[in-house]
Amino acid sequence: MRPGAPQRIGCKVMRKLTPDKLEAGMVLAKPILRGSAVFLGEGSVLSEGVISRLQSMEINYVYVEGLAEQPIPLDEALASLDARFGNSGDSEPMARIKRIVHEYIVDLYE
Amino acid sequence: MSEPININTMRRKVESINALPTVPSTLKHISSMLENPQLSIEELGRFISNDPALTSKILKMVNSAAYGFPNRISSISHAIMLLGLNVVRGLLLGVSVFELMQKNIAGLWEHSMGCAVVSRWIAQKHEFKEPEEVSICGLLHDIGKVILILHFPAEYEQAQEKARSEGIALHEAEKVFFDATHADVGSWLAQKWRFPINLVEALEYHHRPQLSQQATLETAIVHVSDVLVRARGIGIDCEARVPDADPDAWKLLRLSDDDVKDILAELEETAFLETEID
Repeated sequence: MRPGAPQRIGCKVMRKLTPDKLEAGMVLAKPILRGSAVFLGEGSVLSEGVISRLQSMEINYVYVEGLAEQPIPLDEALASLDARFGNSGDSEPMARIKRIVHEYIVDLYE
Repeated sequence: MSEPININTMRRKVESINALPTVPSTLKHISSMLENPQLSIEELGRFISNDPALTSKILKMVNSAAYGFPNRISSISHAIMLLGLNVVRGLLLGVSVFELMQKNIAGLWEHSMGCAVVSRWIAQKHEFKEPEEVSICGLLHDIGKVILILHFPAEYEQAQEKARSEGIALHEAEKVFFDATHADVGSWLAQKWRFPINLVEALEYHHRPQLSQQATLETAIVHVSDVLVRARGIGIDCEARVPDADPDAWKLLRLSDDDVKDILAELEETAFLETEID
């Protein structure tokens, strides 16, 4: 896989974070490599110590399991989606785009 | 109501960007540098490297999720080597122009970054050799808005207000006050700054992708990226509605439901970028 290619493997939910956003207790969703060697394996739980080491390494981002906390409640998010689409959600391809974004937003709250 | 501003007047004014008092001197410098057909990699690298603020902004961009290189790029010369001259020229414009915009058009920077991310994703799917070039098309597609507001602040303010109060697209509202839209303005500048034809067309036709002759795929990518980013709610404040996607452009990209969800997941990252750029 090329660097930076989209990373949503199967239905595993993960977030891509810059090292400064890491918090203790987060679980790695993908291994961290140094050269060709695994530095930290998938499933590792991050501790404060590990995080500060990661922050001192030249890493752009890491993948952790789980979803980000959402800033607004689900019904509000869906109401604003409806407002954004107005009547344009009735025709193709807009109906399809709206349905996919709707499903995506609902998944974020599960 | 007065007549819309004539297209020739617009083009003349827009192209004399170097003479405009409201344009910061760094941007004027960059503009005249980009006009030089003989601009070398060394010269561009030296110009950026001599400005520590610019250097750090560009390095933040290339190291952000929008460009997605797994290892840190630590110097401008390394960035030029990896990304090529045109991409770095585009990034240089992006960071220097959109900084001006944070205040004037709320949401434009986040929207532009979002389009850069999505355009790159779709370009990768379509196996472009240089997806970063398409990303630059996404990043700069609305650059005309920035230039219009610098040159014609009063009229542009009115256009924004009209879009907001009537719930219409900004480029439709622009037509009431100007004989050309931000898409035309963007393409005039892209030509003046000697960007390749695919960038010129992607900027010019991002609302009407069916008109593109020489960059059909890139233009469709930027058009659909614009729609998807706004569908996710990352748009500019005066345009509430998601614009309709052109059915042919949408078909051309062959995006599956899962593709679109992957793109939306990738977009979550741009939220971080707002804070990273300044």
